[in-house]
Amino acid sequence: MDHRGFLRRRADLATAGFEAAESPMLVINPAGEIAVASKGAGIMLGLENRDLVGVALENLFIPPSSVTHCGADGHCNTSMLRQLQVRHTGGDVIPVEVQCSPFTAYYEGDGAREESDRPNHCLMLLADIRKRDQEDQIRAARLAKLSLLNQVSEALYGANLTLDQILEAVLICMTAGQGLRFNRAFLLLVNEADDELKGEIAIGPSNADEASRIWQDLADQPGDLFEMMTSYDQSIKQTDVAVNEIVRNMILPLDDVENILIRVMADRHVLRVRGDTTMSGVDTIRRWLGCSEFAVAPLTTRAGSIGVIVADNAISGAEISDLDLEFLQMFANQSAGAIENSRLYRELEQRLLDLRRAHQKQKDDQETLMRMERLSVMGETSAIVAHELRNPLVAIGGFARTLMRNLDESDSNRQFADIISSEVARMETIIHDLLDFIRPKKRLRKEVVVDQIVGEAADRFQAELEGKGVRLEMDLKTDGLTLDLHPGEIQQVVQNYIVNAMQAQPDGGRIEVRSRLVEGGARIEVRDGGPGFADDVGEKLFSPFFSTKTTGSGLGLTICAQIIKSHGGITGAMNNPEGGAVFSFILPLPRNAPNP
Amino acid sequence: MSKVLIVDDEPHLRLLYETELRRAGFETMTACNAAQGLEFVETMKPDLVILDIRMAGMDGIEALQRILERDNTVPVVLNTAYSSYKDNYLTWAADAYVTKSSDVTELLDTVKDLVDARAAARN
Repeated sequence: MDHRGFLRRRADLATAGFEAAESPMLVINPAGEIAVASKGAGIMLGLENRDLVGVALENLFIPPSSVTHCGADGHCNTSMLRQLQVRHTGGDVIPVEVQCSPFTAYYEGDGAREESDRPNHCLMLLADIRKRDQEDQIRAARLAKLSLLNQVSEALYGANLTLDQILEAVLICMTAGQGLRFNRAFLLLVNEADDELKGEIAIGPSNADEASRIWQDLADQPGDLFEMMTSYDQSIKQTDVAVNEIVRNMILPLDDVENILIRVMADRHVLRVRGDTTMSGVDTIRRWLGCSEFAVAPLTTRAGSIGVIVADNAISGAEISDLDLEFLQMFANQSAGAIENSRLYRELEQRLLDLRRAHQKQKDDQETLMRMERLSVMGETSAIVAHELRNPLVAIGGFARTLMRNLDESDSNRQFADIISSEVARMETIIHDLLDFIRPKKRLRKEVVVDQIVGEAADRFQAELEGKGVRLEMDLKTDGLTLDLHPGEIQQVVQNYIVNAMQAQPDGGRIEVRSRLVEGGARIEVRDGGPGFADDVGEKLFSPFFSTKTTGSGLGLTICAQIIKSHGGITGAMNNPEGGAVFSFILPLPRNAPNP
Repeated sequence: MSKVLIVDDEPHLRLLYETELRRAGFETMTACNAAQGLEFVETMKPDLVILDIRMAGMDGIEALQRILERDNTVPVVLNTAYSSYKDNYLTWAADAYVTKSSDVTELLDTVKDLVDARAAARN
């Protein structure tokens, strides 16, 4: 086997592999020209890699002097990394990092082979720094935003913020230079009735002038979140009137499930809207925002979505990048948790407060009750003692007076008896005052419906009347009139009238209880089917001890008259032209009340 | 001479009222409880009854009703240490309500007035 032929084939294979490599690589020959170039190198420099062969290094790097120290043999004898620039055939200058690997190689028949094995070739690996810088920047931004998220998290969860403060903090982070850098942010929450998505609060400048001023202000501030929030209070609050005007208009019914904002809540995933789209609701949102590109992030908790954040760059017109979206999503999740927490906390706080109040009230009630109980026991005891003392005092004082009268004026005992009687009188005064003081002022009168108490009183006789063959008819028509009266006493009068009417008809008959509104009050009548009364007794019926009945004290009607009189009313009795007697009373309306 | 019946379960008060009424020129008789009082109203036909309210057994209010059922012309003076009974309409049927006091002047005046009024009504 021909060893050299084999070698040649192996070299061809290596060259082919080298040329196919995506990484930018060059082999430089001792003349300082490109001997082989990889495909990646061709792409970097804007030529076919084979066309690079033979190109001198100084035509590639700028300035040309940057590679002159590679020496006459075109290599630098070092494997150090160097930052150089190459010229793209299109004219662009590309910053590259160059790593050289010198090596020694001779061609067959190369007479000039030197004795030493000094390297005469160089393998150059090129790396486009621009791309790496870009990646570094992304990494740095990501890091900064992660750090911000961490700060937000600490701020939102750590501090005992109100819901409003949290919403504000969320929006500040959305827009601040140290934060997500959106121009404007709008926060919408599901309302309490759980039927609408409703704009709550927004942040952002209304035009470019305002924006540059605010951003400048904020840039001057240190980057800590708490300080951002403080500086927000000072600089932005007055200027976000316009966006808050917009956010107040943002109201969507939750059952509009096709609407993009509602759908984002259901999908639980951030969404960017740009360019032509057929998504439902986009036109309305664009009209609200006044710009076509915006991002929507759901505020999602374990229980479900509680709202959305809408963000745009309406002022700067900057595109919303994938990175922006990624952070928006993370940030929205963070915020949703904080909002939910705050709500739960507030709810808990309210419940705790309610509980404390209830507890305090119970305690107060109990104390009041105990105090009243104590007072009541004391009062009752004093009343009993005072009453028990009264009878003996009457005897002592009374006899002292008798004694005094029985003694001669000259008798010195008379003076002593006088002292006893006056001291007893003093004690009686004390007891009288005490009893008057502790006697409960019972309010026996109350507002009652006249027809109701009259009806109740009559009803009690229903069974008895039926047993005696008397039919009870009720015709109560004072239209629910209420009066301040002593219901027990008035019922006593009605019952008294009914008993009289019943006794007037021992063989059965009918009794009609009637009520009517009359001028100045209510008139209640009890009509019977009895014989009526003799004309001459009419006036005497209500005077004490007058009774036409053979039994009975005659007291009933007198008491009735006194009861009605104490209510400011009058009693009356007359014979019904159609037969029987009519006993009545009138209860007056309060003096300042209008007549019915 | 008008006869006054004193119904009271306190013996010393009965003695006091008797003493003072006699001095004032009345004939007196006493009952130590309501039942006895009722009996005397029927048997002795007093011209006036002084009736204590709070007594063991039947109280003065019930006694009042029963007295009036038997004879609704005899004047009754309710005499009690408790002014609160004035609020009870059942006591309104009495002719007078006098709160007990060591100064019996009010009681004596009331008795005189009622006896005189009754005598006048009869004539």
